[in-house]
Amino acid sequence: MTRVVVDPLTRIEGHLRIEVEVNNGVITDAWSAGTMARGIEILLKNRDPWDAPYVTSRLCGVCEGVHAIASAQALEDAFDIELTEAGRLMRNVFCAGYYVHDHYVHFYVLSALDYLDIMAIANYKGSDPGLLGIKDKIVGLVVKGDTSPFTPRYEPDAFTVNDPETVTTLVSHYIKAIEMKAKSQKMLNFITGIQPHPNTVMVGGCVATPSREQLLALRDLWLEQKEFVDNVYLPDVLAVGTGPLFPLAKLAIGATDGNYLAYPMLPQDGAAKTEDISFGGSNHLFKGGVVNASGARGTLSDIAGINVAPVDYSKITESVTSSWYNYPQGSTALHPSVGVTEFNLNKTGAYSYFKSPRYSSKPMEVGPLARGLVNKFPALVDFFKAGGREGVVARHLCRALITKSIVDQGIAWIDRLIELRTAGPLVGMNEKAVPRNAKGFGVWDAPRGALGHWVEIENHRIKNYQMVVPSTWNAGPRDENGVKGPYEQSLIGAPVPDTENPINVVRIIRSFDPCIACGVHVIDGRTGKVKVINLQ
Amino acid sequence: MDLATLARPQLNRRDFVKIASLTVAAMGLSQALNPRIVEALEQVAPAKPPVIWLEGQGCTGCTESFLNNLEPSAVSILLDTISLRYHETAMAASGHQADKALTDTIKAGGYVLVIEGAIPLAQNGKFCTIAGKTFVDIVRESAKNAAVIINVGACSSFGGIPRSGPTDAVGYLFRGKELHHVFDDVGNKPVINLPTCPVHNERLVATIVYYLTFGKAPEMDNYHRPLAFYGKLQHDNCARRGQFEARRFVTDFKDPAQQGRCLILKGCKGPIAFQDCWERQWNQRSNYCIQAGVPCVACSQPEFYQETSPLYAHDYDFGVK
Ligand code: SF4
Ligand code: SF4
Repeated sequence: MTRVVVDPLTRIEGHLRIEVEVNNGVITDAWSAGTMARGIEILLKNRDPWDAPYVTSRLCGVCEGVHAIASAQALEDAFDIELTEAGRLMRNVFCAGYYVHDHYVHFYVLSALDYLDIMAIANYKGSDPGLLGIKDKIVGLVVKGDTSPFTPRYEPDAFTVNDPETVTTLVSHYIKAIEMKAKSQKMLNFITGIQPHPNTVMVGGCVATPSREQLLALRDLWLEQKEFVDNVYLPDVLAVGTGPLFPLAKLAIGATDGNYLAYPMLPQDGAAKTEDISFGGSNHLFKGGVVNASGARGTLSDIAGINVAPVDYSKITESVTSSWYNYPQGSTALHPSVGVTEFNLNKTGAYSYFKSPRYSSKPMEVGPLARGLVNKFPALVDFFKAGGREGVVARHLCRALITKSIVDQGIAWIDRLIELRTAGPLVGMNEKAVPRNAKGFGVWDAPRGALGHWVEIENHRIKNYQMVVPSTWNAGPRDENGVKGPYEQSLIGAPVPDTENPINVVRIIRSFDPCIACGVHVIDGRTGKVKVINLQ
Repeated sequence: MDLATLARPQLNRRDFVKIASLTVAAMGLSQALNPRIVEALEQVAPAKPPVIWLEGQGCTGCTESFLNNLEPSAVSILLDTISLRYHETAMAASGHQADKALTDTIKAGGYVLVIEGAIPLAQNGKFCTIAGKTFVDIVRESAKNAAVIINVGACSSFGGIPRSGPTDAVGYLFRGKELHHVFDDVGNKPVINLPTCPVHNERLVATIVYYLTFGKAPEMDNYHRPLAFYGKLQHDNCARRGQFEARRFVTDFKDPAQQGRCLILKGCKGPIAFQDCWERQWNQRSNYCIQAGVPCVACSQPEFYQETSPLYAHDYDFGVK
């Protein structure tokens, strides 16, 4: 038995430590630990509720906007505010727009290096001047002996793509993706003020007042993003996912135990209040739902026929048995509306700053694959029919499919905003005074999955604020029954033929697109308890 | 910038001229310095200066902001101008390899140290650990052999939002307005703070280039902020200042007739915010907070966020009731 520790787990957002046990080349046990906490829920106590969207948007600089929106929705639920059309549309455009760059940046910048043998570029034999330029550049770095940040790296394995043409093309798209990201942030900035970190999403809607010219410029930039998604990102994911990486898909590498949860997002018309959301979000571009797979993991095949249940928000709880927190005497699992955040850094048996969220007492995978299954994306149905399975590749595929729907749909929202702006100033806000006492919650499906904020107001101040965030769902530790969280589940059974080179561990975890800063509500309490035989 | 340009193995003179003019403009330097910066860049480019970029109690927002550079592009800075030896979000290495890259670079010394995120001091630093070490220890180790330290964002400058939480989060030199002296043992080296939430990409790039050219920190205020960026007050330069003087204020965001008025009654902290957002703007100069219609929360200030909360309530004494 060998124990392998990957810490820091890089190319993600935040601080994550993964520890696995390998027996005869296969992972037999796993632990996922968040190792940083800021105590945002604690610092919000006794504050003006109006501060919450700003502060919670700083939970994460990568998916900032969804926190601002979920927070604003929770407060709008508490204040009893209905959004104006302009407010809803501006939030949609902003949120949809950053979904777009977030997903391709994840694919090219954060994940691709796990699948590509970047040094294959040296063997590029083609004549494309752009690609020859990339070859010169990489070879130039090698010759000068300074290939950071591309090295050091895990060694390529049997699943690595090493065709020089493909690798060189994908690296050129890596470079292009970073440029497109910057442009997409400029595009969003017409309605957010600064990017990243929107300042305009507030309780009551969106305070931005873009001019017609700004909206037209936004539209042009949107079309440029659409072109990149249509001609570069989606084709690349389809080509690699159904081509060289299809063996990984067929083996269900990185599949969890088969329970999925998605929340509704991007309301299409009418009121975007929490009431609609609890009915399954029928007017949303992506609806919410729960899938409980029967049978062993990785065995789903007829996904067109799977049963999708509506989300019942009362069934959500969080446990802290393996987390550095205390709960009041006698409670093991609490609903977030009555949740408690109290640190205990010396707790025995704890190994993470994540809590363990559960739905009907079960851990749930959240994120693109959950969204794809709940919404039965036609291309995902086909992928399963052809023998693709849940796991790493399916997640990358769903991300690309989501991005495609979003770029296509977004233009209608922008056009409607231009129409409204042509008729007069946009009024995105419907503000109201803070109620004396109230409770509310708001949900949204963040790029990384189901996100919920719960707030309780007393005497016009925040009495309690609780967030159950995507990476807590996915990265949470064992619960009071010893049941593992989705990251831990997904690692079990994965091949690690060489414990000095645990490339599958990072592939699997990065396929979830971990975003840890928001999830960790500490320390390495395990050190000393577990003997690390092989620190990789 | 087209792909072929980006893909050149080496930046050419034209690229350096671009970076130099950005720096000159951003820092308010004399145009006459342009050739000197170009020359310095040409000299450093063959042996790119090593950079360690640490992240503690951050949100990766400052990294995201850095990646928003277009002219010069983030990629050309990453591949051609600096040698990024350690950066958890961008580097290919994982686990033990990453840790070794950090240790080796520290040993070699003479690097630019960029710190993102606050440093939690409570409970012996246990609120942030990487590879089994506390962030406090990692910062101390890395600071010892650094040539210069650049704190990006409100968090590593002054503690930012985490300072208001339970973890005794501080910036590298400051806890809010106060010097905390935790890292006094690492020697005298320039420490530059670039607050705002997140860091402004242009302020960061221009600061790095300035340091590489002149080998010292630019002129700074008492809070170690470059005067070129933080020397003037938002309120004194605000496009809505006329509205302020005319006592025309936004009191209700719902009222379209109030759009464009002064935001002070909605909590605008422009009267205490030293920055040049009013001129520089954000994201290729496309917009900034007040222009978008939202009050400035003074994220450039050491008071942010503990003393500037509530953000959207008018409770500072700015002479307006
Ligand atoms: S209070 Fe704010 S909006 Fe008003 S003039 Fe000053 S900086 Fe501008
Ligand atoms: S305008 Fe104010 S709130 Fe906006 S980025 Fe500048 S200092 Fe921060």
